[in-house]
Amino acid sequence: MRRLRGWIVRLGGFFNKERKNRDLDDEIESHLQMSIEDHLGLGMTPDEARRQAMIQFGGIESMKEFYRDQRGLPLLETLLQDIRFGARQLRKNPGFAAVAVLTLALGIGANTAIFSLVDAVLLRPLAYPDSGQLVWLCERGPDWSGGSLSFPNFTDWKDQQSAFEKFGVYSGENFTLTGAGEPVRLAGSPMSAEVFAALRTQPELGRVFREDEDKPGAPPVAVISHALWQNRFGGQAGILNKTISLNGKPRTILGVMPAGFEFPSKVDVWVPVGPYCADSSWQKRDNHPGLFGLARLKRGVTLENARADLEVVAVRLEQQYPESNKTRRVQIDRLLDNQVGNIRQALWILLGAVSFVLVIACANVASLLLARAAAREKEMAVRGALGAGRWRITRQLLAESGLLALLGAIVGLLFAKGVLRVVTVVAGDNMPRVGEVRLDLGVLLFSGLVAVVTGILFGLAPAWHARRVDLRGALKETGRGTTSGRAGLRQGLVIAEVALTFVLLVGAGLLLLSFHRLMQVNPGFEVDRVLTFHISFPEGKYQTVEQEVLFCQALREKLRALPGVRAASLASQNSIPLHEGGWDMRFVIEGRPEPPPHLQPSLQFHLVAPDYFQAMGIPLLQGRDFTEQDNREHLKGTSSGNEWGAGLDSIIIDEEFAKRYWPNQNPLGQRVRIPWGEREKQPVATIVGVVGRVKENRLSERGGLVQAYFPIYQQTVGNMAVVVKTASDPAALLGTVRQQVSQLDPALPIFGISTMKEMREHNVAPDTLNLLLLGGFAVLALVLAIIGLYGLLSFTVTQREREIGVRVALGAQRFAVLNLVVGQGMRLALIGAFIGLLGSLALTRILTSVLFKVAPTDPLTIVTVTLTLCVVALMACYIPARRATKVNLMVALRVE
Amino acid sequence: MNDKAEVWQGTLALMVLKTLERAGSLHGYGIARQIERTSADLLSVNYGTLYPALLKLEQEGYLTSEWGLSERNRKAKYYQLTRAGRKQIQKQTQEWEQMTAILASFLNPKEGLA
Repeated sequence: MRRLRGWIVRLGGFFNKERKNRDLDDEIESHLQMSIEDHLGLGMTPDEARRQAMIQFGGIESMKEFYRDQRGLPLLETLLQDIRFGARQLRKNPGFAAVAVLTLALGIGANTAIFSLVDAVLLRPLAYPDSGQLVWLCERGPDWSGGSLSFPNFTDWKDQQSAFEKFGVYSGENFTLTGAGEPVRLAGSPMSAEVFAALRTQPELGRVFREDEDKPGAPPVAVISHALWQNRFGGQAGILNKTISLNGKPRTILGVMPAGFEFPSKVDVWVPVGPYCADSSWQKRDNHPGLFGLARLKRGVTLENARADLEVVAVRLEQQYPESNKTRRVQIDRLLDNQVGNIRQALWILLGAVSFVLVIACANVASLLLARAAAREKEMAVRGALGAGRWRITRQLLAESGLLALLGAIVGLLFAKGVLRVVTVVAGDNMPRVGEVRLDLGVLLFSGLVAVVTGILFGLAPAWHARRVDLRGALKETGRGTTSGRAGLRQGLVIAEVALTFVLLVGAGLLLLSFHRLMQVNPGFEVDRVLTFHISFPEGKYQTVEQEVLFCQALREKLRALPGVRAASLASQNSIPLHEGGWDMRFVIEGRPEPPPHLQPSLQFHLVAPDYFQAMGIPLLQGRDFTEQDNREHLKGTSSGNEWGAGLDSIIIDEEFAKRYWPNQNPLGQRVRIPWGEREKQPVATIVGVVGRVKENRLSERGGLVQAYFPIYQQTVGNMAVVVKTASDPAALLGTVRQQVSQLDPALPIFGISTMKEMREHNVAPDTLNLLLLGGFAVLALVLAIIGLYGLLSFTVTQREREIGVRVALGAQRFAVLNLVVGQGMRLALIGAFIGLLGSLALTRILTSVLFKVAPTDPLTIVTVTLTLCVVALMACYIPARRATKVNLMVALRVE
Repeated sequence: MNDKAEVWQGTLALMVLKTLERAGSLHGYGIARQIERTSADLLSVNYGTLYPALLKLEQEGYLTSEWGLSERNRKAKYYQLTRAGRKQIQKQTQEWEQMTAILASFLNPKEGLA
């Protein structure tokens, strides 16, 4: 404690130094006077007395110095002195300082930006208390994963497991909110009460639903988001226990979740999932209604324990219900992994790439400092001669580089902010947790740390050199001779820069090629001039399927009649290509042996209206399109008219379907059965046409299920997509289209408006982001490396001016001089490129997962990069070389 | 004067504190003289270390100082113990006694604790 107090007092020693020095002088003086008086008392002469007193006291100056050291903190004081001196040095060389700070700012800023991404997305725990215990569950099979849960499976898992403290399910559903301003479409989630309990997030207002409200027959309730509360209900506390209308049904608002609560994603409404299971289809074990599980591990239970526990349950269920559960298992992941799984690798790759950029920036600044150290060699020698210790000089140089790094970090933070803005715009909702990215204390600490490390890294080289300065040699030397050791170090730095740049360029080149190939993929539909948007029927308003069909037909007629519209059609919402999610269902080909259920193949299920293929630009290869007559007429007089799926009668398949199941045969007229429910009620559809294949979910997908289309007039759904093919810019038609919809039904909200072109852009957004960032870093690296190479050569030319002058005087040709300089530069560039080649062969393998149809060692890319680098390096060499040829002999020799 | 022993490292602080305990309030020169006199002139105080030592004790809060007038009406800086300083004397005294006892048992093994 006392020692601490001492340090604090000593910190105070920085202030009021003059008064304190006077105090000390006074004290010494009074001491001497007293001593003199005592000596006088012994009978000495005044002179003798003073002399004796002085002798007795000893070295006054050294005592004062000792005293001053005790008074303040000498280490800190010299540090401040060094920094002040460094700042003065930098002010004297504003050009050098600006280049160095800017270079470092680019390096540190880019690193800060990417680190803050990594930190927010991967490193920081999710914003739920004790979130490490949260796990996500779904179903998986021997060769597939990520399947949704069936409700009976969920209840059995829940009852038979012992690993979880809380275990619930959730799904996604959109709701139309009416009666609170304009009708609006809300993203929502049916959720178990236990999911809230597992997440342990308290509502901002009111409460979440209880277990007894999460059951069939419970009164309808809802919890809403902070954003909805603010935007639609004015943030009033009176919202609690109010009734709102969702999909035409009243629900009582129980509570408001706090801002930032985004589970399972950014949704506005949560409703209990329990009442849904009253629906008979939910009780079928082979129906998977889009449910996923969320659970909290009991304290002390590990992920592995839970996996083992649920494996036992799944095996038991497989034996009990082989029809539906054959080979079905449970997949359990940490919630964090589930949310960021597919972006993790890309982020680490980017962090690696950006650290390369930083190393290059450091090398550049080190090289600059080395060049400056050459000019300051004499200064160092003089200071050494005047008694400055080597350690002191090193410390001073390090302080200077530290100052540069600090300034670089500060400017770099601004740069980082810019990079992050670009990232958030480009990534959008494709990157999970991107909303949590901010330059917070942790990130600031990181860039501070990076600044310190870089400061030491690039400051060490010149400092180390300064320690080896040969005093006599440096003082004696008159000209600017070559100092070979230092030149070697700078050459090494340039080689390293070129090598790292080469690796980054290869990475960026691979991504560019991959992106190019991705954009050349034929999506199977027309990208230009196709507009889509979504509508959905409020429950209860359209009582029968026939009424919905009538609405669809009327809307299609109205849209078709619009000028500028080439074709208009409708489809179920997830039938649209490049749409995340979709339905797959098992099928059986009539007239062929029926395999057991778990071996039945699946098809990708689409519901479309007539003209859909025309509107979407999907080619009809064989047979016919659906017509208005593909409706429910054939059901008249049958009892199954109200059963879901009963109307399905005709089917159009994609070319892959035809190729896989009827190779070299005509598929038209063949019949496909959907094995739903009782055997005699299962819909059997006749193939009437064959169309081209489309990219279902991702532009990069290969293989996948066969695709099948059913007429929407035979079987409607609540959520519909409208597809409009226009003659000109689709966005211009939006207003009129909107008008047509509200003329038909003013309570129907339009949402999810997008052109197919935008859909494609959105689909490749992660690839765009990777390319943009890695490409940007590679270009940055290239610029820095070239500056490094250029700087080194111009410096060499300046240093060798005299030598070159002599050569010219002795008759060297212009070309020989050019060759001398260019040769030196290109030698470095080529060595660097070769090392970079080896490095990229070793490193680009990690890109495999983000590349599309490009091998990580693509020879074309490597050759292109080599050539580019050589050309750019040649240019960087040429400028100083040309200057060398213009060395004026007289001036060069007169430099002495 | 040359054959006088220098004050050992680490013992000066305790001597200063102890001197001030006896004298109440004293200036640097007085403290030095007092220490020399107490040791019957066997010790000589190095002023190069005395003043920094006084400063350190003050920084750590064992002493306070103020300017005053000496017995001969000369301006001088007077040092005084604080309460923490008195406690520190007790503590250091104990430590020294223990230390000397241990050392004694080494020097006179017969009278050792064994």
